Amino acid sequence: MALTFKDLHWAKNIQVQQYLQPETLEEALEMLANFEGKARVIAGGTDVVPQLRGRDIEVEALVDVTGIPGMDGIDQDGENIVLGGLVTHAQVASSDLIRNKALLLSEGAGSVGSPQIRNIATVAGNLVSGQPGADTSIPLLALDATVTIASGDGERKVPLTAFFLDKGKTVLDCTREILTSIQFRGLMENQGGCYLRLAKRKALTLPMLVLAAVVNADPGKEIINRAAIAMGPVAPVPYRATNVEAWLKGAPISDETFAAAADMGMQECAPRDSCLRGSCDYRQEMSKVFIKRGLTKATANIGS
Amino acid sequence: MNALTLSFTLNGNDVSLDISPNTLLVDLLRDKFRLTGTKVGCREGECGACTVLLDGTPVNSCILPAAKVQGKSLTTIEGLADENGQLSEIQEAFMHEGAAQCGFCTPGMIMNSTALLERNPEPNNQEIRQSLSGTLCRCTGYRKIVQAVATAGEMKKSQG
Amino acid sequence: MQDKTEGKQKVQVLTGEKPGLDQLLETPEKKLSVAGHSIARTDDPAKVTGKLMYGADYPQEGFLHGKILRSPHPHALIKSIDIKKAKELPGVAAVLTGKDVPGRNGFGAILPDQPVICEDKVRYVGDGVALVAAVTEEIAHEALSLIRVEYEVLPAVFDPRDALKPDAPRIHEGGNLLSDNKLRKGNVEKGFEEADIIMERTYQVPFLEHAYLEPDVTLAVPQPDGTMLVEGPMQAPFTVRRNLAAVLGVPVNRVRARQIHMGGGFGGKEDSPIDIGCRAAVLAHHTGRPVRIALEREEVTLQTCKRHPMIMEVKIGAGKDGKLLAFEGVIYDEQGAYAGLGPIIPPAGGSHIHSMVMMPGPYEIPNAKVDAYLCYTNHPYGGAMRGFGAPQVHIAHEQMIDELAGELGLDPLEVRRTNAFRLGSATATGQVLDQSVGLLDTLEACAEAFRWKERFGKNEYVDAQSSKRRGIGTGMGWYRTSIGTNGDGCGANVYVHEDGSVLLYSGITEMGQGAFTVLPQICAEELGVAMEDIRLVEPDTDRVPESGPTVGSRSTTLMGNAIIMAARQVKSSILEMASEMLLVPVERLEAKNRLIYDREDTHKSLTFTEVAAKCMAMGKRLIGQGWWTPPAPSLDPETGQGNPYFVYTYSTHMAEVLVDVETGGVEVTDYVAAFDVGKAINPKALEGQIEGGVAMGLGYALMEEVAMVDGIPQNLNLQDYLIPTSLDMPDVKPIVLEVENKFGPYGAKGIGEMPNIPATPAILNAITDACGGRVRSLPADPERVFMAIREAGGPPER
Repeated sequence: MALTFKDLHWAKNIQVQQYLQPETLEEALEMLANFEGKARVIAGGTDVVPQLRGRDIEVEALVDVTGIPGMDGIDQDGENIVLGGLVTHAQVASSDLIRNKALLLSEGAGSVGSPQIRNIATVAGNLVSGQPGADTSIPLLALDATVTIASGDGERKVPLTAFFLDKGKTVLDCTREILTSIQFRGLMENQGGCYLRLAKRKALTLPMLVLAAVVNADPGKEIINRAAIAMGPVAPVPYRATNVEAWLKGAPISDETFAAAADMGMQECAPRDSCLRGSCDYRQEMSKVFIKRGLTKATANIGS
Repeated sequence: MNALTLSFTLNGNDVSLDISPNTLLVDLLRDKFRLTGTKVGCREGECGACTVLLDGTPVNSCILPAAKVQGKSLTTIEGLADENGQLSEIQEAFMHEGAAQCGFCTPGMIMNSTALLERNPEPNNQEIRQSLSGTLCRCTGYRKIVQAVATAGEMKKSQG
Repeated sequence: MQDKTEGKQKVQVLTGEKPGLDQLLETPEKKLSVAGHSIARTDDPAKVTGKLMYGADYPQEGFLHGKILRSPHPHALIKSIDIKKAKELPGVAAVLTGKDVPGRNGFGAILPDQPVICEDKVRYVGDGVALVAAVTEEIAHEALSLIRVEYEVLPAVFDPRDALKPDAPRIHEGGNLLSDNKLRKGNVEKGFEEADIIMERTYQVPFLEHAYLEPDVTLAVPQPDGTMLVEGPMQAPFTVRRNLAAVLGVPVNRVRARQIHMGGGFGGKEDSPIDIGCRAAVLAHHTGRPVRIALEREEVTLQTCKRHPMIMEVKIGAGKDGKLLAFEGVIYDEQGAYAGLGPIIPPAGGSHIHSMVMMPGPYEIPNAKVDAYLCYTNHPYGGAMRGFGAPQVHIAHEQMIDELAGELGLDPLEVRRTNAFRLGSATATGQVLDQSVGLLDTLEACAEAFRWKERFGKNEYVDAQSSKRRGIGTGMGWYRTSIGTNGDGCGANVYVHEDGSVLLYSGITEMGQGAFTVLPQICAEELGVAMEDIRLVEPDTDRVPESGPTVGSRSTTLMGNAIIMAARQVKSSILEMASEMLLVPVERLEAKNRLIYDREDTHKSLTFTEVAAKCMAMGKRLIGQGWWTPPAPSLDPETGQGNPYFVYTYSTHMAEVLVDVETGGVEVTDYVAAFDVGKAINPKALEGQIEGGVAMGLGYALMEEVAMVDGIPQNLNLQDYLIPTSLDMPDVKPIVLEVENKFGPYGAKGIGEMPNIPATPAILNAITDACGGRVRSLPADPERVFMAIREAGGPPER
């Protein structure tokens, strides 16, 4: 693939004509609409600013949504947990509520980037990045989360299973829409969760593989009633291993079950050969290891 | 380009100025305010040399649009010593332990540690390492930096 | 503190349970009051307050911003270049092509084979084809994008072995083989015949990036008197100056190079400042205005020098007791597109010949043969990186020793003990090591602190459920002090003033290693004054004497000696004057703690200041000058026999790792590193070098590589070029031993590079101990470890 100018020459600055800081959601949506696709949302900016600097994206204006009130809380709504669209990774990693009810998400959020990045980067932004191995996308996918998207046309709710379209692309149009909240049900008594990450060093690094699992068992903890297994990057989008999940329904909780599920899951995965993050062969092998580990850990965590 | 008027508190002083909308915080600090203690290492948020405290929280200033400090309080390495020039415990501890070699990561390390000790006055080795995990050092192997943070914690504690 | 006398060597052991534990060292001859102490670094206050100015911190007002247009092709002819649109852009002050270089269109630390601006062809992705200077960086960047270059792509070569084939594309006129070197000692065929066991292995290491935190920057400022000043981070101001002079077409004395305190160097800033310095200077020359070139992080990785990749073939023959009888090695040393720091500077300078000399390791081997080929490829060029060719070959011989031990069922420590250098040993170049050989002392000290014997053979899974298995490994090493060239010398000036204050002029640069503290310590010790009395004048070629580059672990030793010579010259005036003033013979006078006193009657004393003032008043010379060169190096060009470097530092490292046998993930959990440094001038700073060096070695072992695909580097920023974070590093325990170097200041020898060298093989050996798999092609990232386990037949049994 031929190298272009921007592959070899770097600017120090970003090119943006306007930086807007709306104070309400309505104002933000209006500003976006006015630019007719030439402006986009910025929250923490930890993805957007490097992309602008690298000239991977070009916009006339940035609409900074971090001033919008009421979007930075972690709330409980019955069994559901609601994350505001501005909730940061640091908040999620340290939230007692989420650590108690969805530890896999806390761990995922706590693995992104670095402390400095986590202090500023939003979970919503992590979802919107559309990266197949995003550390909060994967646990939220396993938790069957739903996102609420606001636009000039109103509000819509999209299950995460339908949110990701392709690598770097989601159903959300960041030139018109804002992700205002993320909802998921916290883990119940009969559920156990798990988050696993494989990377070449312990911080500041994109993963070779991320897996999150949520397992529902019967009261006697002998049968799997339901399993949700999310993984990435093994496909262009964060991936639910639905075939394996279907097979696991009703299966006995045992090493043999987990091993068989792992074998099956490995066949499903189609990771690319990555020069920097592992060959296809290796990542498939690791999918197998992680599925087994994930199921083992998640079932062990049931009721804890 | 539409200029913005930015008003914020910088190292304890209220400042107000017009900036162009594409200004990044690290460039505002270094070029406009001549506070060159905050360093540029990567412009990707990957090395932490640019770490400053935004309302007491460590952030990478190299990827932060300057507009985001509107109405907030910002502290840089230059703002740690008190009015009489008395250095903070962390700064003293870094010197005492020999934790600075080339010194390029030192401001970032000190800013991160300052925030850590504010919220966790007696961090253990792992907690210190965790808080510094977003700031790279190529010279020291981190050992004396971790030592310095522990020493600073002890110094703060002994001062009550 | 122990004092062990072993043979003719005196070994002092400096250990500290608590990091930074400072011990006053006494030798029977002299009690040191400044040198040998963990004096706080002179630039620490500036560092912790953010006041220290690095190159990028200097005001930019009045500067034009320079940028470089780079080749997208690894190998291509330049057919045409159209700069018209770029020149017309408002704010652009100059757009230059190859014909605009006023002098020699070539630069290089050793051979000037790299064009300042390529004229006829490009040889690696990133090669410079045009220069732009504009009033802002944005405009310069835009101007670059308006330049149109037409290339005719040529076939490229990316493997040094391919580069040697007769039909390989020719990168330079003289062919792709830049250097072909031989080491011949004894008779290897005979040695192999006598051997009970013969083993052959191949090891491979990739491109590494220095990843100093401070990106390169340079300021080229035309002076009113027509001379050119270039300032910025640089390890080798004199090399920068001589290159710039040639490129500008002026005599050396019309160029001035000034070092600004570096944010890390590690060898990379030996030649990257030549690269951007020449380009900035040419732009400054054309425009008549100051020009600043500041590289973005990606550009640093793309454009500047790298650690040489190598393919190393090793064949050893040994007795069943582990005694080495024959060593045969072939090195395919990948130089990349330009000569950088590879080629030989007679007799033993340049990284390639150094690799050849070091290849057989710190072992007594009666028969040795090495063939070393330095080859051009269409890749980034190889420069100096902390170890200068030694880290690579250590990875080969230290793994080989372990593989041998494994085959023989011996403890790898035993095999090392059997073969390691001791006082009086001969190296593979036939050099007899007649002083300062603490190798075995480091082995024993390390083994004791690490409890090797207790832990060896106990590798096991962490528990019944865990897939993590523990292992330990060791690596031994040696590293020269000095660069092995005929011209390896250091000059220092010491001026004492009428109030006792001192100016110290030295061209050794500061990149965090502590030279700006250690060198004044030596000066203060020799003069008998305090640290605060010395002001070190920063390395500026207009002000300091020729000092050579700050490389090769030479600074403390060579410059330290030059400083002692200079200080003694001044001191002789001081003592003579004091003798007159006190009426005491010179031989009885001692200079210490700012006093000159009679050793036999300490009441008879004067202050240093009093005596200095009198010297000044009486016209007595207070200018001291020193020039120190090591004992002459030698190396026969046909046989590689001789004494290439006059003294070596020795080291043994031990590491414990946990390997996840299912994923190949590795964690280093315990680490001890012992060094024979001759003399620690500043123990705390030295510990810092050790701890940081181990981190660099760990990175090499586990995660570092500039991945090249079709000549294109894949990981330019720090997100993808991985160096260890605080969470990846174990708590390293340094042990410092002192086996006095009779040629060193207070017995010191070099330390800058040694620490990162044995670390890599120690960790690799520990990985094999833990999981049975061996990674011979670095880095040992999880995938490679996983594959190695697979190749070994799967994880070890529980």
